[in-house]
Amino acid sequence: MKLVTIVIEELARSTVERALQKIGVHGYTVFPVEGSGAKGQRIGDTPESGNLQFQIIAPEDRATELMEHARKELFPHFAVIVYETDVRVLRPEKF
Amino acid sequence: MDFLHAIQANLLSPPILFFALGVIAALVKCDLKFPETLYVTLTIYLLVAIGFKGGAAIAEAGMAKVWLPALAAVLLGALIPLWCYPLLKKVFGFNAADAAAIAAHYGSVSAVTFIAASNYLKSLGEPPEAYASAFLAVMESPAILIGVLLGKRFGTPGVSSVPMREILHEALFGRSIFLLLGALAAGFLAGKPGLEATAGFFVTPFQGVLTLFLLELGTVAGRRLADIRQSGPRLLIFGTIMPVIHGFIGTGIGAACGLSIGGTALMGTLAASASYIAAPAAMRLSLPEANPSLYLTASLAITFPFNITLGLPLYLGFARWWISL
Repeated sequence: MKLVTIVIEELARSTVERALQKIGVHGYTVFPVEGSGAKGQRIGDTPESGNLQFQIIAPEDRATELMEHARKELFPHFAVIVYETDVRVLRPEKF
Repeated sequence: MDFLHAIQANLLSPPILFFALGVIAALVKCDLKFPETLYVTLTIYLLVAIGFKGGAAIAEAGMAKVWLPALAAVLLGALIPLWCYPLLKKVFGFNAADAAAIAAHYGSVSAVTFIAASNYLKSLGEPPEAYASAFLAVMESPAILIGVLLGKRFGTPGVSSVPMREILHEALFGRSIFLLLGALAAGFLAGKPGLEATAGFFVTPFQGVLTLFLLELGTVAGRRLADIRQSGPRLLIFGTIMPVIHGFIGTGIGAACGLSIGGTALMGTLAASASYIAAPAAMRLSLPEANPSLYLTASLAITFPFNITLGLPLYLGFARWWISL
C-alpha cells in the first residue's frame, strides 16, 4: 500500500477531489497546512490563499495513476508538492 | 462640503483607520494574524447581516422600486468584463486567461467595499436606499460567468477540463453568493419584525465587527504589497484607473434609475469594486491557467484600498454631478 501526499493551494480542493473520485480513490484525509516552498513563505491567511494537505492511502497501481494525473493536470496550474511513501495499513481491504 | 473634507471624513472613520493599522502591522512584520476560521466567521457575519437587512428593506420598499436598478446592476456586472478583457489583453499585455480572470474580478463586486460605502454615505447624511444590498447580491455572479466564458472562448483550448456544470455551480452557489442571496430572501420573508428581533446581533454590533474585519483585511492587503512590485506598474495602473471609470459609469446608471445621491454613489462603488472572495474561488476552479497572484493582488492590494480611501469620496462627487444634470 502507498501513502500519497499532495500539498496544494486551497482553491484547488475541488479539482483534487474530482481527480480522486475519477481514479477511484476513497481513503483520504485533508487538513489545512502552512509552510514555505520554492517561492518562499506561503501566505495562507484567507481561504483564497490557504494551503491543504491531502493524505491518500491507495494500492500501488492507483497511487501511480494518481501521481501521473497530478503530473499532467495539477503541476501546470497549481502550487503543489506530491510524494509517496510505502505504508503498512491495518485492514487494507478498506482501500 | 468640499472634496478634501469628504476624503478626510472617510479616512478618519474607524474601519478605515483599522484597515491602515492592519497594513502597518503587515509592513512592520508584527505577528498579528487572525486565524483563518475567524476570517471566515467574520465574513459570514457581514454577509448574513447585510443580506438580511437588505431583504427586510426590500419587503418594506416593495419590489416595484427595486427591480429596475437591480436589473441595471446585473447588466453592468455582465458588461464590465467585456471591455476590461480586450483592454487587459491589448493595452496591458496580459495573456487570455489572466485577462479573463482579472476582468471577471472587476465585473464582480466586493461586499466589504459596499458596506464601507454605505457607512460612509450614512455618516455624511446621504444614506443610500436600504434595499441596495439587492444590487450587491445580484451583481456577484454575472461577471464571473462572463469571465469564465471569455477565458474558455479565447484561452488555450483543452487546458482545463472542468465541466461547465461545476463552473455554474461555483458561480451561483459559491459561499458568499449563496449566503448573500439566502440572507436576502430570509430578510424579505421575515420583514421588519424579523429584523427587529435580530437587531441586537445583526445591527448594533455591525460597525464593530466591520472594524475588526478591516483590521484583518489590512494585514491581508499589507502582506501582498510586495506582489505589486513584482507584477509591475501595469497592474497598479489598471487597478486604480478602472475603478474610477467604472465608478463614473455606475453612478451615471444609478442616477438614470432614479436613485438618491447615496444610492447612486453606492451603485458607482459597486461598479468600481472588484471581488476577492467569490471570483478567486470560481476562477481558480474554471480558469486554473490564470495566475492567482495577479488577480488577488489587483483586487485585494490595489483596488480595495484605493476604493475605500479615495474612491468613496470620488464616487459621491460623481453621484452629485450626475444628479445635478
